[in-house]
Order: sequence, then C-alpha cells, then structure tokens
Amino acid sequence: MREKLLYILGAAVALLLARDINLIAGFPQEAQQGAIFKIIFFHVPMAITAMLCSFVALLASVGFLMTKNFKYDAVAVAVTEVGLAFLLGNLVTGSIWARIIWGIWWAWDVRLTSALVCWLLYAGYLMLRRAIEEPTQRATFAAAFSIFAFIDVPIVYLSIRLFRTQHPGPVFFTSNGSFPPDWTAAIFGPLGTLMAMMLLATVMTFVRLGQENSQRELDSLRRMAHAL
Amino acid sequence: MPFSLPLLLAQSADDVVREIARLQRNYEFLSYGLIAAWIILVGYVLMMVGRERRLKREIASLKAMLEK
Repeated sequence: MREKLLYILGAAVALLLARDINLIAGFPQEAQQGAIFKIIFFHVPMAITAMLCSFVALLASVGFLMTKNFKYDAVAVAVTEVGLAFLLGNLVTGSIWARIIWGIWWAWDVRLTSALVCWLLYAGYLMLRRAIEEPTQRATFAAAFSIFAFIDVPIVYLSIRLFRTQHPGPVFFTSNGSFPPDWTAAIFGPLGTLMAMMLLATVMTFVRLGQENSQRELDSLRRMAHAL
Repeated sequence: MPFSLPLLLAQSADDVVREIARLQRNYEFLSYGLIAAWIILVGYVLMMVGRERRLKREIASLKAMLEK
C-alpha cells in the first residue's frame, strides 16, 4: 500500500515537473540576462527544499535526543541525505549560472561559501554515521552534530541580507525585486517548481526511510547470525 | 530568433554576430544547468535503487542462512 502510494506520488511529481518545464519554456527571456535566467526556476526551489530538509533533520535530531526513539534518527538520516542531493543541485546550477553572468564559476562570497560549508557539514554528518558502529552512540553523536550543522542554515539564508555579496539580493516578496507575478507563481504557486521539488524530496525521503528500516533489520539479523 | 534588446539596438554586423553568439551561449549553459540538476537527482535515485536491491539480497541470504 505504502509502495503504491509512493509510486503514485512519484508519477504526480513527474507530471508536475513536465507541466512546469513546458510552462517555463514558454516564458519570454529576461531582458538583461537572457535565457540563462530561467535556471532560477530550479536553482531557488532546490535551495528552499534543501533548507526545509535540514530543518526537518534538526527537529528529528532534537526528537531523538529527547526520546531516544530510533525512528527520529532514521528520519534525520533520510532527510539529510535527500537535502544533500538538492543542495548539490542548487550549488551546481548556481555555478553554471554564475559562469555566464559573472564570467566565473565560483566566488568566495558569503552566500556561496556558507552554502558550500553547509553541504560539507551535512556530508560530514553522513561520514560520521559511517564511522561509528554502535547504534545508540552513532545516533546520539549524529543528532548532536546535525543540530550543530543547522547553525549554518540561517547564515546561508541571511547572508544576502546582512552582507554585500556577489550573489544578488532577495528578489522574491520584497520591494527590491521586480519579478513578474506569473513567474513567481511558476515557482511558489501550488503547482510550481517548489511544490514539485518538495514532493520529490518527500518521495525520496520515504523511500530512504524504508531503506533505513531494512538496514536495521539487516543489522539485527547479522547480530543473530553472529550469536549463533 | 528570440527577442533581445541588444540585438534590436545593434549598430553593425559585428554587434549582431556577437549578440547571436551570446544568446547561443546562454541557451547552451541553460541546458547544461538543467542537465546537471537532473543528473544529480536521477543519479541519487539510481543510487537508492542499487542500495534497495543490495539490502533485499543481503536480508534474504541472511534469513536463509538462519533458517538452515
């Protein structure tokens, strides 16, 4: 039943993305930047999805430390891994966009650097998990590390508001930006790319969660086999 | 040809050629960006599929071993 639901949700995501890509392809080019500007329709939703994943990981990590329930630990690892994939997509699309607009692949400004640090921190979280064998110790250390890693997320978010950066300032829902309403809806609307990305992340997280449960079953079977 | 303000304001043939090259480069990099984004997500999905298969195989073999 759960697998069927995930397949249905996955198919809905594919349809939604196809619809969004078709819609975005029909938009005119941005006057200054040209066609490359359309990368924003995927670059921004990927960043927001990654940010939400890290927030869920924070809640799950706090939940584990408070209850010692391994379900929270499984949620934290699943959502962190999925968020890492989305943040990588955000960094790569941003770098390709920068090559055209700034003439360089990368700039060590606060936004880009803090986002890269965020990716490295969460990659470190996954590496830490692999390094510790004992499940309770692994989950406890990982939860503490995840809470520590989350400190970087508000820095990434606020960096373009607090510092002068090469990365442009906020353009959505501010008086500074001049983003057309239909373009904003293509990202933030109920059928926009952000919804598609968040649904995709949800499907991926549930699949990954199932794998985490299978991994626990495998570990207990191994212990039984070892005891015999 | 897509709309382009510099193309409309072009003064010489060189300007037109330069602007067309810029537009083509824009499209080329837009496609690189989209391809990269999808490769990352599809790659992650394939990684999960591989992990799922490995887990199922290992669980089945351990269960069979324990039943023996």
